[in-house]
Amino acid sequence: MAKKVRAVVKLQIPAGKATPAPPVGTALGPHGVNIMAFCKEYNERTAAQAGMIIPVVVTIYEDRSFTFVTKTPPVSDLLKKAAGIEKGATSPGHQKVGRVTRQQIREIAQMKLPDLNTRDLEAAMRMVEGSARSMGIEIVD
Amino acid sequence: MSVAWLEVSVAAQREAADAVAEVLGRYGHGGVAVEEPIRPDPEGDGYEIDLTAPVIVRAYVPENGAGRRRLGRLLRALWHLRQVVDFPEPEVRTLAEADWAQAWKEHFKPHRVGPFLIVPPWADLPAPADGLPVIVDPGLAFGTGLHPTTRLCLELAAELLRPGEAVLDLGTGSGILAMAAARLGAGSVLALDIDPLAVKAARANVRRNRLNRQVKVAKGTLKGPAGPFDLILANLSAPVLTELAPAMAGSLAPGGRLVMSGLLVGRAAELAGLYTGLGLQLLGRRTLGDWAALVLGRGQK
Repeated sequence: MAKKVRAVVKLQIPAGKATPAPPVGTALGPHGVNIMAFCKEYNERTAAQAGMIIPVVVTIYEDRSFTFVTKTPPVSDLLKKAAGIEKGATSPGHQKVGRVTRQQIREIAQMKLPDLNTRDLEAAMRMVEGSARSMGIEIVD
Repeated sequence: MSVAWLEVSVAAQREAADAVAEVLGRYGHGGVAVEEPIRPDPEGDGYEIDLTAPVIVRAYVPENGAGRRRLGRLLRALWHLRQVVDFPEPEVRTLAEADWAQAWKEHFKPHRVGPFLIVPPWADLPAPADGLPVIVDPGLAFGTGLHPTTRLCLELAAELLRPGEAVLDLGTGSGILAMAAARLGAGSVLALDIDPLAVKAARANVRRNRLNRQVKVAKGTLKGPAGPFDLILANLSAPVLTELAPAMAGSLAPGGRLVMSGLLVGRAAELAGLYTGLGLQLLGRRTLGDWAALVLGRGQK
């Protein structure tokens, strides 16, 4: 018999480093999920991607069991890697912290396509460009 | 010891959620949680994401001086972001650990694994209590006996352990494997973990089971060959099993066996190769779901 879904939670956490502290514990604990069992599963499955943020979508069922799928790193993480910066701007309207090329925007959009609700590469690129601007990253040709 | 946390949440529209998550992830402890608004399918396990409802992005900082300073920086960064991206004011509230860390306990019930009866301390021991009882409150440590890797290790320990043997439980978590080994008649059990929360949970469980004379719990890991031990139980992870391979292989007594798990089926061959390369023999391999356990042995001298 199919199981009824109780909640869907997405976590953006460092690969291989989930711990029962927040945000993992606070997101899963209230739904009755065994927090440590999730951490062990996530850490083992993402061990090879250490250093990246690997988003994970956890589906929690009414019987407190769970399943999860890992996704591609968030756009912001990919942009930071492409621009070679540690973090985005603290005042993105006024401050430029790095730059990426249009080709890099295209590559990031291509990589994210499977996780976005579109097959339109141009639309995905516009989304990535929007994220870059909000982080104070300049786009150059 | 209960830690309080400050939670920052923003109910952002989908287009702004990624930028908000980036800022929260930069200052929050260990990442961010994003709650998707869903409409569950009443018939079964499907659901639809409600694309019109806001996405709730949450991050956390510890409630102490450093945490509050971090929160200040986080809120300033969000203020700047709000000048270029449209989303509502963030909300901040205090959370006690008890609010979220305990909820799963009501679903942890007595269960049987191999010859063992695993019982949480808040449940009554089922009568008749046939089986070797192991009382476990994992706290925030790993090891309830429900996870496939713990089950595999418990079953293999029951098959392999001979009374009176010296046992090492590496990465003991709740102490479940160490206590199970003691119940099987191990002469002595050393239970190690690098996580202080696990050491605390394991010590409390050993006392609860009155196994203090057989089981010694200590904070630490294997830095090199130690022991030697007749049986090593290591429910860890593939990277840690790789890193500790020389130390573990060097800590096995002649004729000793090593039970390792915490690895996915896909990694089993690689780890078996690593350990056989260090002079151990592969004695067995068992799987449960996606998880594998390996048994390796050192020959008699």
